[in-house]
Amino acid sequence: MSQQPKIKVTLLIIAFSLAVVYGVKFFLGIMPQNTLSSGQTRAKGDKGAAIQITEFIDLECPACARGAEYLGRIMAEHPAEIRLELKYFPLPSHRHGFLAARYAECAARQGKFWPFHDALIARQPNWSRLTDATPAFALIAKEILLDPGRLEVCLNDKSVDALIQESHLEGERRGVKSTPTYYVNGKMVVGLQSLEPELVRLLAEIKK
Amino acid sequence: MIGGLFVVSGFEKLVGPYQNFLYVIQNYSFLPFFLGEIAARLLPWSEFFLGIFLVLGLWTKWTLRAVMALLLMFMGVVIQALIRQLPITECGCFGGLISFPLPVILALDTTVFVFAWFLSFRMEEAERCSLDRYLARNESA
Repeated sequence: MSQQPKIKVTLLIIAFSLAVVYGVKFFLGIMPQNTLSSGQTRAKGDKGAAIQITEFIDLECPACARGAEYLGRIMAEHPAEIRLELKYFPLPSHRHGFLAARYAECAARQGKFWPFHDALIARQPNWSRLTDATPAFALIAKEILLDPGRLEVCLNDKSVDALIQESHLEGERRGVKSTPTYYVNGKMVVGLQSLEPELVRLLAEIKK
Repeated sequence: MIGGLFVVSGFEKLVGPYQNFLYVIQNYSFLPFFLGEIAARLLPWSEFFLGIFLVLGLWTKWTLRAVMALLLMFMGVVIQALIRQLPITECGCFGGLISFPLPVILALDTTVFVFAWFLSFRMEEAERCSLDRYLARNESA
């Protein structure tokens, strides 16, 4: 029996399926994008740095903590080459993720985002185990000398939640599913295992 | 049913950035980086097309074999993760759509594999409403 009609049908189905997949990808707007919207972000590093990283972070995620430690190290080694921007992406599976983001944003509004972020990351194994992490966050806020009155007002400010949700929505629109998700010069990189070789490659290119 | 599972699983991964699935693969720590990249790009397409072929009943015999091979591979990957006690709470096998703990997905894969294996001995029934049968009938007519 000739297989020709069957092969024709197969090719037709493959072509149709490809059209559907790429059509949906196009429709959802999650085809590769090179530019990031400049929303509310928290950044450190030289604005003109050759390597621009935007990270979608859940402050309770252990992989994000490992990523933050790695980035802290590599940014100290290459201060002029790397700029890092953080965007909140609290995951529903982490019970303190949203509250941690709220505190971090309130610290940012007092110009102390990074000290708060660094302390949160360093102590993540301790506070992530707590049923109520509020006292742990309040203690960090006290240690980095946040104004308690302004902090109180900020924690009840609905615009903080709106900003975190907006940041989360931006991540979702870009196809972010898990944390840490990085955009390194616009290229999506998920997890530390992929970030390390990407940065090593880019740093080597800069040195040439 | 088996075909539908594969279509949904593949499609969900394909319409999102492949890096999300690469991250899932990396969590299982069984492939070197470059092979992980290849797997993250190819596996969703394999799942998707095998699913479509199975749903439509096209190349049913071969598709069923390929599906069984894929399921065996998935089971092997999950078993090694369980033995090594890797810190994976959710399988990530259906992208972001639904997720199961590893023991649950192992049970599901095993059930689907047994079902596919059973079907492979009953090709007549498996091909009853298939494109294979329709095309063969048209050919002989």
